[in-house]
Amino acid sequence: MTSFLKIKGITKQFKLGNGQIQVLEDICFEVASGELICLIGSSGCGKTTLLRIIAGLEKQTTGQIILDDNVVAAAGRERGMVFQEPRLFPWLTLEENVAFGIKGKVNKTILQRTVQDLLAMVGLSDFAKAWPHQLSGGMAQRAAIARALATDPQILLLDEPFTALDTSTRSKLQTDFLRLWQSTHKTCIHVTHDLDEALILGQRVIVMQPSPGRIREIVTVPFSYPRCPENPDFIALKKRILDSSVSSTEIQI
Amino acid sequence: MKSSANHQRKNLLNLSGATARLELKRFLKKLIQGLALPLVVIVLWEILSDLGRLNAYLLPPPTLIVDRLMTTLGNGELLKHLGASLSRVVYGFSIALCMALPLGFLLGLVPGVRNLLSPTLSFLQQIPAIAWIPMFILWLGIDEASKIAIIVYSAFFPIFLNTLYGIASTDPKLKEVAYTYGLSRWGLITRVYLPSAAPSVFVGMRLGLSFSWRSLVAAELLGASKGIGYLIQEGREMAQPDLMMVGVFFIGLTGLLLDFIFCHLENRFLPWQEKVTTQEVTE
Repeated sequence: MTSFLKIKGITKQFKLGNGQIQVLEDICFEVASGELICLIGSSGCGKTTLLRIIAGLEKQTTGQIILDDNVVAAAGRERGMVFQEPRLFPWLTLEENVAFGIKGKVNKTILQRTVQDLLAMVGLSDFAKAWPHQLSGGMAQRAAIARALATDPQILLLDEPFTALDTSTRSKLQTDFLRLWQSTHKTCIHVTHDLDEALILGQRVIVMQPSPGRIREIVTVPFSYPRCPENPDFIALKKRILDSSVSSTEIQI
Repeated sequence: MKSSANHQRKNLLNLSGATARLELKRFLKKLIQGLALPLVVIVLWEILSDLGRLNAYLLPPPTLIVDRLMTTLGNGELLKHLGASLSRVVYGFSIALCMALPLGFLLGLVPGVRNLLSPTLSFLQQIPAIAWIPMFILWLGIDEASKIAIIVYSAFFPIFLNTLYGIASTDPKLKEVAYTYGLSRWGLITRVYLPSAAPSVFVGMRLGLSFSWRSLVAAELLGASKGIGYLIQEGREMAQPDLMMVGVFFIGLTGLLLDFIFCHLENRFLPWQEKVTTQEVTE
């Protein structure tokens, strides 16, 4: 397994009044090319902060992030980001939103084809001309994923993208996302606080714990896709991860 | 997923056809509702006048006002004055736009400049344009320049403040999205700040137009040889209350029309705005 993304000793401190808060402590892991990693932990364990550091939206206090032999210093087009909210530009139609990152960078024909392909991939071809406020939450989030993929990033970073959705939409989007990953084989880091979601999606699950945020364990999920949360082995693994947490309240199920 | 998507699309398509009809119906309903009160007032007014309950000199009956309206319209006098007032507004409003928009953008984008300028601007904002009329006449003379200055002054602040607000309140979450695509500073301005501020800018322009129209008439009352304000003044000097009423009525009507045009422009240029359908609950 060749490492594609290397997270080396990341720490992060926030100033709070006169004191300091240690948000992340010595985070180290590596991600292989094409791998789908889930980052899980309760709120306050720094998982979103870690993802934002990888995206270049925040600066780490110490440590290094190396993507494909380049040190990550700021935000860049080779890292696609999907946020918890869709964050579509309300003044652009769906296709214009998807084209946002590549507009002016590629010629018109390529741009149109890319946008069409991406909209088809997320099942929104019929809504190319719709305004964001006309979409449901699930559709908007699928559009946001298409927009992040438009620049053909080396890695896709997802910050709890399905958290705000209702249960049935969420499980549908999980399935769709898995299919999308299987067809594109993008390297993905998917942050979630839902252990079921992490075990349904991730090839490996990185379990974090709070104060200060650090990695408790990295679990390689042995099941093949598609995974069934009712499967006894699935339940056993879930129980094992939950039991190993200091208090089971750390991870919401 | 596919079938549900198709289903939703059909809904969307049906919606656009139905919306047009519904909109027309809603518009007519709104028009009738809006005209009901003025009509009742006018009818009552006419009846009371005919019964001799109202002093015809202090409050001329509607029929007399309409008569006067027809004659001033017929001899072209009304349109001459209206044209004079409107052309002043066009000049003044354009100058105000050219000053307020860049300044609003600048202060919205550069907080440092904001601290430097906003106390002064807040001070000036407190002074109504009408208070400046004598000084403007002293500096710029009784001619067009002083009147246009009044319009510029009145229109400037609403446009400027709303532009500033629109730029400064750009959603940081959307800025972050743009940032992940490595947009340049200029790209961020043209592709995120400006479209995001556009609705506020429109609000500012509407307010600015309305403000400038109002203070223009005040300026014309104080010294002009033509314009709607002058028409009212003429009515006073010649003791013709019906002429004054015609002037007052036309100020309101023109203001309403200008605002209506602006609303339409806004719907046209900013189609993405979520229409706040304030459809009342009936029954």
